[in-house]
Amino acid sequence: MIDLAFFQIVSGALFAIGLYGVLARRSAVLVLMSIELMLNAVNLNLIASAAFLDPSRFTGLIIAIFVITVAAAEVGLALAIVLRIFRNRATVNLDEIDLMKG
Amino acid sequence: MPTMEWAWLIPALCFIAFPIIAIFGRYLPGKGSFLAILAIAAGFVLFLFVAYDRIDQGATGLDVFTREWFQAGSATLTWGIIVDPLTVVMLGLVTFVAMMIQIYSIGYMKGDPRYGWYFALHSLFAASMLALVLADNFLLLYVAWELVGVCSYLLIGFWYEKQSAAEAAKKAFVTTRLADVALLVGILLLFREVGTFSMMETFHQAELLMAGEDSLLSSGTALTSALLLFVGAMGKSAQIPFHVWLPDAMEGPTPVSALIHAATMVVAGVFLVARTFPLFEAAPDALLVVAIVGLATTLLTATMALAATDLKRILAYSTVSHLGLMMLSLGAFGYTAAIFHLMAHGFSKALLFLGAGSVMHGADQTDIRKMGGLAKVMPLTSFTFAIGALSLAGIPIFAGFWSKDEILLAVLEHRHWLFLAFTLLAVFLSALYMARAYFIAFRGELKEENRTAHEAPTSMALPMVLLAVLAAGFGFIALEWGGGFEGIGSFLFFDKAHGFEFNVALAVGSLVLALLAVFLAWSSYLKGKPYLSTLKSLTTPFPALAERGYFFDHVYQWTIDRVILVFSGFLGFFDRVVVNDTGVDGPANSVKRSSFNLRRHVTGRVYNYALVMVLGALGLGVAWWAMVAVG
Repeated sequence: MIDLAFFQIVSGALFAIGLYGVLARRSAVLVLMSIELMLNAVNLNLIASAAFLDPSRFTGLIIAIFVITVAAAEVGLALAIVLRIFRNRATVNLDEIDLMKG
Repeated sequence: MPTMEWAWLIPALCFIAFPIIAIFGRYLPGKGSFLAILAIAAGFVLFLFVAYDRIDQGATGLDVFTREWFQAGSATLTWGIIVDPLTVVMLGLVTFVAMMIQIYSIGYMKGDPRYGWYFALHSLFAASMLALVLADNFLLLYVAWELVGVCSYLLIGFWYEKQSAAEAAKKAFVTTRLADVALLVGILLLFREVGTFSMMETFHQAELLMAGEDSLLSSGTALTSALLLFVGAMGKSAQIPFHVWLPDAMEGPTPVSALIHAATMVVAGVFLVARTFPLFEAAPDALLVVAIVGLATTLLTATMALAATDLKRILAYSTVSHLGLMMLSLGAFGYTAAIFHLMAHGFSKALLFLGAGSVMHGADQTDIRKMGGLAKVMPLTSFTFAIGALSLAGIPIFAGFWSKDEILLAVLEHRHWLFLAFTLLAVFLSALYMARAYFIAFRGELKEENRTAHEAPTSMALPMVLLAVLAAGFGFIALEWGGGFEGIGSFLFFDKAHGFEFNVALAVGSLVLALLAVFLAWSSYLKGKPYLSTLKSLTTPFPALAERGYFFDHVYQWTIDRVILVFSGFLGFFDRVVVNDTGVDGPANSVKRSSFNLRRHVTGRVYNYALVMVLGALGLGVAWWAMVAVG
């Protein structure tokens, strides 16, 4: 029998990998992918918790669907922004995108 | 028929004329000059009615008419007029002389580019002075007082394209303004003690103080405020050490000088002391100061008049000298004599200035050394000038003789004999400089360059003749005429009426001195006798000192350059370095500097922001955990 803890460990690991990607990657596309990874880690956690703790209710599932929807919208918007930046500056390297530097 | 209560209309008419001429004058025939003359003439007619009504209702009475203006706290401010003999006399002098001078100006100012503005200012000047003599409370008086100052500034600097005229106007304004500060402080001091600006209430308190009863005024306050008021009067009446502005004020058009010297501005100071005489009487020490300042002024400026060579400057110094005499007279309790002399001098001096203006107009000269023999080409001017000069020299039967005599009498009765001795010296000097000016300018050989000089036009001659009649005959109002008229002393007086008094020894003595002065001038300047040069070398170093105006101007200039400008420079430095650079710019600069340093944290790199966000979230988590664990 697989315990809830296993799911939570996997989910936490995924989240940590995503976080590392967001902080360490220099490519905007890779950062976006890392954010997706973090979102999916959260989804996994939600669904596992819902199934293990109270299978008769599906609150966790619905929140997971919400997260997927928001993630889809977010990716659509963020990729559009990245494309515009690439058009303008011929790069998506975050080191070089520092228009807001004081 | 207009009664005394209508007196307020006299200044009001002139006040109304001012904006009309200033704004619409250019569209009116004669640039609106007739409006100014009409207003002042109507004022003169009203004065006749007011004077008649005053005499009808008890000539020596005093009536006050007031309207409430507004209330501020416990103080009520009023518009109000006093109608008493002093007011009536001043109204007559101001309206008549101003009217004469405005008629004269039609000819004198012909063709001036700002002809209309000139008449507008004349109206305002006369209106301010009339309001000043009518005012029944100190606040109204102060307002009128300052208006007089502004008008004199504008008129002295009327030809402001000329550097010297602009500077003379500035000097006149600043000098009198300096003294006005004292006047304002004095008025406010009285207000604090008495609780009202009303003159009648203030004088009532002063009389209570005199009588030794309970009064809101203490004798110390009475003395302080009387002295402060007197300092204000010294500024306007050009008493030493404030006399420096008056000779420079000659830069204005000559009729303006005539107006300033005869009817407005300089007599305001004498009027103020006369009006507030109850206060001065309650503080006898202040009156002694008035007498001393008056005596010093009259002597010093008489010698300056003797040393001057510019005709208008001689007249200007002579005015200061005679104002000193008036102050001396007030300081010697000679209230009647002072106002009597004010009027006699007013008519005479207006006449003399109009004569000087006529000379400038006809011969284009102001330096008497370049004149000479003008009587041959300008007989009327010469004749009227002679009358004015005789009047000021104190020769009977002319106006100045009677008033000067009253002053001598007052000084004899109320002051130390030294005062009388110096006053007699002033009488001698006064006759000497008038005779000198007349003989050098109008008698002797006619100079070649003055052969083309011409007599004044009618509009200028008429006022001169009318004023000459007054300068010659005005003095007789001192006498008892019978038929209910017992001389000016029974109409215009302070405390108690007195008829005409005549001290034969004093009159003969002063007359001998005056005649001696005229003889000296005649023999020295026309016959070439060396009497005066002997006198001059005997009195060294006074002639040389007088020529330089006793260094008053030099001392003031030095003070301004070395003390005031240096101190102002220091204040400016303090303002720039301490207030501005340290106090204002200092904090601003430190904010700016710290902002420059702080902006480095805005890297513009998105992963930096993300890191901070994560750390923040972690921090919140730790905080929450800590709270749960502890709490």
